[in-house]
Amino acid sequence: MPPSVVRSLSVPLERPRRRKRNAASIGLALAVLPQIGVMAAALAQEGLADSAKRGGIIRYGHFQEPPCLFGGWVQQWYLQRQYSDNLVARTQDGQIVPWLATSWSISDDKKIYTFEIKPNVKFTDGTPVDAQAIADNINGWLSDSPDLRNPTAAPYLTDSFESASATAPLRLRITLRTPFQPLLNVLSQSSQGILSPTALKRGLAANCEKPVGSGPFIVEKWNHGKDVIFRRNPDYNSPPATAQHQGPAYVDGIDWRFFPDQTVRYGSLLTGESDTAYDIPSVAWKDANSRFTVLRHITGGTPLRLALYSARPPFDDVLVRRAFAYSADRKAAIESSFLGSLPFEGNGALSQSSPEYIKELGQSYPYDIGKANRLLDQAGWTEHNGQGIRLKNGKPLLVRISYSSSFLKPDGEQALQVIQQQAKAAGFDVRLQPTNQADFFAGRNLGPNDYEVALLYWVAPGAEIFRISWKPDLNGQLNRFNPSRYHDLTLWDVIQKAEQSFDGAERTALYQQAERKLVENAPAVGFAVLDVTLAAQLNLKDIWLDRGSVGEPVFYDAYFTGRK
Amino acid sequence: MVANSRLFWLARRLASGVIVVWAAATFTFLVQCLLPGDRAQIIINVMTGNVGQASRQELAAVNAKYGFDQPLGVQYAKYIWAIGHGDLGQSYQQHRPVAEVVAEQIGPTIVLALAALIAAWLITILTTVLAAGRDNIWSRLLGGVQVLLATLPPYWLATILLVVFAIKLRLFPVAGGNSPIALVLPTLALALELSGFFGQVVVSEFTRVLEQPFVTSARMRGMSDLGVRFRHVLRHAALPGITLSGWALGKLLSGAVLVEAVFARQGLGGVLVTATSTRDIPVVSGVILVSAGLFVLTSTVVDLTYGIVDPRIKLT
Repeated sequence: MPPSVVRSLSVPLERPRRRKRNAASIGLALAVLPQIGVMAAALAQEGLADSAKRGGIIRYGHFQEPPCLFGGWVQQWYLQRQYSDNLVARTQDGQIVPWLATSWSISDDKKIYTFEIKPNVKFTDGTPVDAQAIADNINGWLSDSPDLRNPTAAPYLTDSFESASATAPLRLRITLRTPFQPLLNVLSQSSQGILSPTALKRGLAANCEKPVGSGPFIVEKWNHGKDVIFRRNPDYNSPPATAQHQGPAYVDGIDWRFFPDQTVRYGSLLTGESDTAYDIPSVAWKDANSRFTVLRHITGGTPLRLALYSARPPFDDVLVRRAFAYSADRKAAIESSFLGSLPFEGNGALSQSSPEYIKELGQSYPYDIGKANRLLDQAGWTEHNGQGIRLKNGKPLLVRISYSSSFLKPDGEQALQVIQQQAKAAGFDVRLQPTNQADFFAGRNLGPNDYEVALLYWVAPGAEIFRISWKPDLNGQLNRFNPSRYHDLTLWDVIQKAEQSFDGAERTALYQQAERKLVENAPAVGFAVLDVTLAAQLNLKDIWLDRGSVGEPVFYDAYFTGRK
Repeated sequence: MVANSRLFWLARRLASGVIVVWAAATFTFLVQCLLPGDRAQIIINVMTGNVGQASRQELAAVNAKYGFDQPLGVQYAKYIWAIGHGDLGQSYQQHRPVAEVVAEQIGPTIVLALAALIAAWLITILTTVLAAGRDNIWSRLLGGVQVLLATLPPYWLATILLVVFAIKLRLFPVAGGNSPIALVLPTLALALELSGFFGQVVVSEFTRVLEQPFVTSARMRGMSDLGVRFRHVLRHAALPGITLSGWALGKLLSGAVLVEAVFARQGLGGVLVTATSTRDIPVVSGVILVSAGLFVLTSTVVDLTYGIVDPRIKLT
């Protein structure tokens, strides 16, 4: 059977035939000599340009220091993107292209994926990157071992994954129980970077400290509380098809420094102590654009959204959910609080950089206090107490918003305060429940009776995030990633159909059907986009954000002009 | 006889030190048991960057790995036994020994704390000797400035110093790591506040001592004003300040937590902030135990110093 999807960069090279007619050969040689000369000159020029790009250490100022150099938190993806390679890569427009796999095929029943692995690639500890190594990684991600389980891959793949195995040294087979079209999207995300199985055997402690991949940089040393030192992998030969050059990185390394305070982070860029810095503060947005090269990527997946607890009153009533959405001018709140540096996102289901995003839904539920009041009257919240708060059966219309500063920039809290004040005019008693990071991770203010709204997000390339956010609780298994506690089996049916469709147009239409249903029923209301911003000195060129994934900074192609 | 009493004093201090450290260890153990939220849940959520309830299988694996499935009494006994053998446990998040985490970071914090202590004393001594007890505007200003300094939050002061002297004037690095030049602003951020406290105590005593007959006698012998102030008055007036130094170390350690975070310096501060925000209890406990140990040590040194500054004081 012909493979239904094949991507290949490998071109078979034919051995030139020996020609007997010497004269003809000489003639041909004379004819092509000028062209060879031109090619040689071009190659020399390219070589010269490449050598001019070599050298220097990128001093990068980052925000948060993770507890481990790999894992499911996006802060860990940024690091992993530098030292590991993925099986496949994803372009900005959503195409899957080769990385460690040069080509792949999918069986007709869409359950067996066969990957051809790039030859002669090694992890930086010398272990070969072969099919077995990759299979070991994938099987570990889906295992119960806390040391190997991958918290990003597992919720996507647990229902469909059966096994991964090496059918030949450079041929990998992934077998699924049910078709799952977003598999390649999932495999292209940085948290699914392939690590050396030899190194993984050292245990979590050693791997957290010094993980080993096959990427363009090697983790040299982690100075806790200060920085991670990466040095260039001199033997790097496995860049993705999305990279701008081949071979090792241009720079000698990266000094990945942790500056949790934004004044220090941006200040270090102003004084020239950093070459590039992450997350430009809102107040410095205009200044940064006038001084530095500024990169921005709006991440896919969910936006930062208000998840409305839909399993009990008051938000078990869709009219009240919609009323809450109409009751505050969320757009103005975001724009004024973030000083125009962060766009508003009215689509609570999907972020605007996801391919399945429906633009018109981005302005859903515009501020309309009249409509909010009418909907609440219709829902039976007709009485008011002395403070103007609506009542139903004697109970006040209480809305407690749980959030953590680790998931929300400082300006976001101001936007919530604006919403709190405006929603009061419609009769909502909005109370903010700021929670510190530790307590939030411990589940404080997130219990079933602790909140009516939770402010959360999950980054992903696109609508495959629906599986994580909206899978209902089935067979006694609670979906912990659904803070809305919204259960809609017809929605789940549409999402599953989309996941099993290999027709691009049909799949997009199905995901968009789910997206419209979600916005219409408002179990989540849009708040703001999530973005990755990076400012770089003008002499540092060709840093790019991996827009096919979730905007991780990529330093592989970066180089200095002039001073290094 | 004197040697015996000194040994007895040291033994008593050692015993009370052990009790302080045990109490700190017990307190941190109780805190981790009493804090809301399941420990295994937090470990999983921090590692995965998620919130929400983990599955039973995930929780069981983590509970077994860290021994959370054992009775609390057993956990406590193992914890105290390990501390008694110098084992502070394993970090839940960094997955390495706490002793290693603390040892790696304690150096820069001690350097910063000592530098701030010395700087605070220098500021106190110079301002007191030059201005205190005089009938001029500087003397009157000194009291007001000391009160102001004592009320300045180090975190706020650190940010102001950073913006003015590093970002605007560029006299110091914004992020100089642990280099000597990068020590200046964090040291000042801690020392200025502390000098306010020291100053108020020392100036009050200094002014009182200035009126003592032996000072008048020294002046009558022809000694210069500065000589009298340095050689005679300061020595008597410094004692309450020295007493404060033991307390100051605790204050510096807590102040360093915030100042290190502002200046992105390595140190126990950053470790403690991260460990607290990720509920990495073994690391928090380790830092508290080491701080308690340091506090006991400093108090002992301070008590010994009394005898040197004023030989009339005997340790009992």
